[in-house]
Amino acid sequence: MANKHVNAIVVGSGAGGGVVAKELSYAGLSVVLFERGGWAKYDDHGDDELTAQRSFPLACFFGPDNERYRRVAVDRQGNKRIVYPNDWAYHNIAACVGSGTVSYGAMAWRFMEEDFTMKSTYGDVEGSTLEDWPITYADLEPYYEKAEWEIGVAGDDYQNPFAPWRNKPHPMPPFPHNREGKLLEEAAKKVGYHPFSIPMLRNSKEFDGRSACIHVLNCVGFACPVDAKNGTQNTVIPKAIETGNCELRIHSQVVKVLTDKSGRATGVEYFDKNDNKHVQTADIVILAASATETPRLLLNSATNLFPNGIGNRHDWVGRNLQGHAYCGADGLFEDETFDGTGPGASVAVCDFAHNNPGIKGGAMLANDFIKLPYAYTGTRPPGAARWGREHKDFQKNYFKRNASIRGPVQEMPNFESRVEVDPDVVDHWGMPVAKISGFKLDEDIRTAEFIADKAEKWLEAAGAYNIWKSIPGTGVSGGQHQAGTCRMGNDPQTSVTDKYGRIHDVDNLFIADGSLHVTNGSFNPVLTIMALGYWVSDYIVKEWKGGNRFR
Amino acid sequence: MDKNFKDAINRRKFLKISALWTGGACIITIPGFTATPYRTLGRSEAEIMDALADAIIPPGEYAGGKDAWVTRFIDQQISSNGYLQHDHDLYKTCLPAMNNDSRGEFGTIFTELDENYQTEYLQAIEAGHYNSGAATRGWGNFTPSAFFNTMRNHCMMGYYGSPIHGGNRDYVSFRMISLF
Ligand SMILES: Cc1cc2nc3c(=O)[nH]c(=O)nc-3n(C[C@H](O)[C@H](O)[C@H](O)COP(=O)(O)OP(=O)(O)OC[C@H]3O[C@@H](n4cnc5c(N)ncnc54)[C@H](O)[C@@H]3O)c2cc1C
Ligand code: SF4
Repeated sequence: MANKHVNAIVVGSGAGGGVVAKELSYAGLSVVLFERGGWAKYDDHGDDELTAQRSFPLACFFGPDNERYRRVAVDRQGNKRIVYPNDWAYHNIAACVGSGTVSYGAMAWRFMEEDFTMKSTYGDVEGSTLEDWPITYADLEPYYEKAEWEIGVAGDDYQNPFAPWRNKPHPMPPFPHNREGKLLEEAAKKVGYHPFSIPMLRNSKEFDGRSACIHVLNCVGFACPVDAKNGTQNTVIPKAIETGNCELRIHSQVVKVLTDKSGRATGVEYFDKNDNKHVQTADIVILAASATETPRLLLNSATNLFPNGIGNRHDWVGRNLQGHAYCGADGLFEDETFDGTGPGASVAVCDFAHNNPGIKGGAMLANDFIKLPYAYTGTRPPGAARWGREHKDFQKNYFKRNASIRGPVQEMPNFESRVEVDPDVVDHWGMPVAKISGFKLDEDIRTAEFIADKAEKWLEAAGAYNIWKSIPGTGVSGGQHQAGTCRMGNDPQTSVTDKYGRIHDVDNLFIADGSLHVTNGSFNPVLTIMALGYWVSDYIVKEWKGGNRFR
Repeated sequence: MDKNFKDAINRRKFLKISALWTGGACIITIPGFTATPYRTLGRSEAEIMDALADAIIPPGEYAGGKDAWVTRFIDQQISSNGYLQHDHDLYKTCLPAMNNDSRGEFGTIFTELDENYQTEYLQAIEAGHYNSGAATRGWGNFTPSAFFNTMRNHCMMGYYGSPIHGGNRDYVSFRMISLF
């Protein structure tokens, strides 16, 4: 039976897509929200580190599965390799209702004003497609606020002298530090940094009918046992469904965006749980499938009118793939830093996010989430034993006597880091898979070295006696912070969408996920993606209410 | 510490205990463990794997890899419904090859070497000294150093991961780091 025509299709129920589904259904549009995965619950997963979404050595509980999904990874020598979702080279986020927002660490950063004006702040960077966003922090500020209040953030920006201005405080008070956090807070002050409690998409008190955080050890990579972590799956998506205007269609793999002879989007083609093919039509289509899957969909939807894929007339779809050039330092302590209170990451400084002499950009620095036992087996100073008695003793002695400081270094986007589709390798449904290739610029490594020094200094001040730094390799970034592959811009020749996320060529086709980011900030990206979801929705709703039916 | 925080901690202890309980129950009820110990590995392969597991994570105050059921973890995961089934042939080929390949330099098979020689031999494999011409010595298409890396990583998973996958017997590694 044919599906009933609706006003809007949203592809992907993650950070961006969940928000859009709620906003459109509240405005009275009929919406189908497509999700390739299902619901991912704590009770079905529990505390299993080996299938958690952070280190996933056996599988990714939050999806996708290794049976139906694969990608092609291309190394710097051009060698191709087929990779599965639980391989780092796959660059996975998740595949379930809420996507990464179920299993994330829940840091809730606003980008700073400079993060939107990187080119005018820092000038040209060799080899980089660095550009300003077509919108400013001021444009997005009200939408950050909406994300903070509707999804739920605990924090206090007034502790952070570098925080961008805001109109309204966070809806919940900040989290207290555990023993390690307190130690690092004191140490940061000693070296003249300005520490504060990281804003978190977690409940520091009961919020919106859900309980307060109980500080378990496994937060990042896991679902929350008491539903105190706020994602789209327990906030905006249920609200969208409650309106009666939004149908969430799970286990539905969208494979193509359909367009008519005039180049207008008419709907999508998808496979249901039983691999039956269907078509869903709509007035508007919004892609929120993540910065790797959204470009893949556009490229796999080529027609005579769009021979290189939709929105790809100027070859910008899939370009400028970014994540963060993560760097930092680890240290060992005489006394226990561990007091049994999770989830770990709680203290940060923004002293080095911008305004670093001779450096373009920078990073926020924060202590890391508690590493679980298997993950900790890979945390060793250079030259330390990787196995045997010494390795085991290290695990026993230092599991509770360590701290790690990490910084998501803002990368300078480059045109050669990209998502393509590989016609030779197809997924379970016969569609060409994403092929990922590229590299980091030297500039990014230089910044990482600068930032890692600051992390080292911080650990020294905290009394760590064995400290080692980590600097990222030059391979392509993306991963859990993937962004940038369908950048927004005012010039259709050098961007994929306009400033409202609308594909330049197609009036009724929008993007609302990390793909839109022109640059990826000195911070984890999710709150910005949520804010963009509100921003894009706001434009669509205003047009719709003004009578525009996008026909 | 305010009251909510304390309640939260109590709740967390409760969760930990319930995790321990369900995990423990799961282990106890695995049927026929002693009768048919392994799904995939034969007796001699399992013995070699036990020796490797003890070399990677040696026994001491807390169990080594062997007594922590690392071999059982690997056996389950490389069986036809395990997460690591793609590594089935790797183990089937490399375990006996690894055991025999010490004859040349050390005069006897790996399982019969003293601990010090076992370590020396494994360090040489890890460093790639046995890679050249490995195919002619029974390693098939596999590279000894690559096998070592994979096997080492799997031992870590089996020892430090959740017992639901067959290893970490009685949560020994969690007790070692006083997580419980
Ligand atoms: C373990 C972990 C920790 C993290 N911690 C943080 C953090 O602390 N702070 C932070 O800011 N960010 C964090 N992130 C990153 C954050 O989750 C992502 O930035 C964010 O989810 C990306 O949003 P998105 O809308 O672009 O894509 P996603 O949220 O990934 O949403 C895309 C959705 O589309 C679905 N989909 C894809 N293709 C199709 C298709 N063809 N048909 C149907 N559905 C499809 C996917 O299944 C997915 O649900 C973390 C991520 C992970 C995995
Ligand atoms: S620390 Fe634990 S209780 Fe708190 S939000 Fe994370 S998973 Fe939930």
